[in-house]
Amino acid sequence: MPRRTSSPAAGLDFASLVRQHQAMVFSIAWHLLRDRAVAEELAQDVFLSLHQHLGELESPEHVQFWLRRVTSNRALDEARRRQRRPMVSLENAPEPVAVTPQGDPLLGTALKKLVAALPGKSRAIVILRYQEDLDPAEIARVLGIPVGTVKSQLQRALALLREKLSRVAGQASGLSHGKE
Amino acid sequence: MASLEDELRSALRRQAPSPDFAERVLARVAAAPVRRTPRVSQPWVRWVAAMAAALLLAAGSLEYRHYRGERAKDQVLLAVRIAGSKLNKAQKKVHMLAHRSNS
Amino acid sequence: MKAAGVPIALLLLAGSLPAQQVRWNFDKLAARASDSTDVSLDGAVLQLAGKFLSDDDKDQAKVKKLVGGLKGIYIRTFEFKKPGEYTAADVEPFRAPLRPPDWQRIVGTHSNEDGETVEVYIKNDSKGIGGLVIIATEPKELTLVNIVGAVDLDSLSELGKHFDFPQVEVEKKK
Repeated sequence: MPRRTSSPAAGLDFASLVRQHQAMVFSIAWHLLRDRAVAEELAQDVFLSLHQHLGELESPEHVQFWLRRVTSNRALDEARRRQRRPMVSLENAPEPVAVTPQGDPLLGTALKKLVAALPGKSRAIVILRYQEDLDPAEIARVLGIPVGTVKSQLQRALALLREKLSRVAGQASGLSHGKE
Repeated sequence: MASLEDELRSALRRQAPSPDFAERVLARVAAAPVRRTPRVSQPWVRWVAAMAAALLLAAGSLEYRHYRGERAKDQVLLAVRIAGSKLNKAQKKVHMLAHRSNS
Repeated sequence: MKAAGVPIALLLLAGSLPAQQVRWNFDKLAARASDSTDVSLDGAVLQLAGKFLSDDDKDQAKVKKLVGGLKGIYIRTFEFKKPGEYTAADVEPFRAPLRPPDWQRIVGTHSNEDGETVEVYIKNDSKGIGGLVIIATEPKELTLVNIVGAVDLDSLSELGKHFDFPQVEVEKKK
């Protein structure tokens, strides 16, 4: 099979595509897997697949859609394979260590941990919504699930995150007042 | 205080992989052997594999066409809304003026 | 009109005809606008969209019928932060190509209430209407529409009214 470095029909150059989309692909994998090394390896594999399928992709938009879909699906598969502990629903997930009263710099870390504790599909939905700024219809197309499912899972995930965060913040203020 | 959604956008913003990521990908692509179809003694196995690959390809293409079709539909509805709204406004004004001049 | 002894029309036909009927240059306005919308739908995209418009939805079925015979829809909208950021002189180049005998202005209206002016031009061809241009100017927004093909003006207007003010189905009393 001849090596393709570009898709003449769509004017897509592989090396440029890697540079253009590496942050997107890596970040989707990383936020889903929370393991930098594994995320980089998975991202590399996605780009290798892109290289193999480049001739079938019709436009820069198609490439982006394809990358988001393949990365999300592979990262979700990898997350399921790496599961060492039984699935814990977010409601029962241990809360991250309470943030300090100066809270905000660590809020992002707390939030990332809470997102990482979401079930696979919900996690992917939250990541595609807030990392990639996709609307529910676009998320539904990327993940191949009904848009109603996307909306309901997103709502539920946000409600749970809000609740967990408020508990964490409550602990922090309790700590700051010397309470245990 | 920022909303939860703003905090999520901030926490989940894209991060760069390691600085030599792109070079490593390109090196792997350059080093990857040219794919050869594995030798299979029974021709029917090759045929089945080829059909399966073609079906997967077709399914992927079909999904992307569906995605494009839905987007095209959204764009057409937007276009008709904009154009129709402007045209309707002009027509209404004309009817109003005609009504005034007749009364 | 000729160029180097060859009728312009033939020169145009020799290469590929532009998809849009009117050659407009948006660069100047785009540079000044705070926001702009670009909807460019050629015949292939309209055909594809037609396959996804539902026959079960009344509005979508009407849109499907409307766009069925069209060759393209091109819309540009420019928004500006303050009134006066574009002037009548900026709009004149968009009117310039719309002259008889090819084009005919059929409507020109102005509303004192919201300051909106709407001009409607149609392109005449042997089969009737071959295209439509709408130029709508508001203090902070300019909209340019070019629809290529046989447009049903009444259907388009009706759909515009309906999308702006969706009808609520009222059960008829027996």
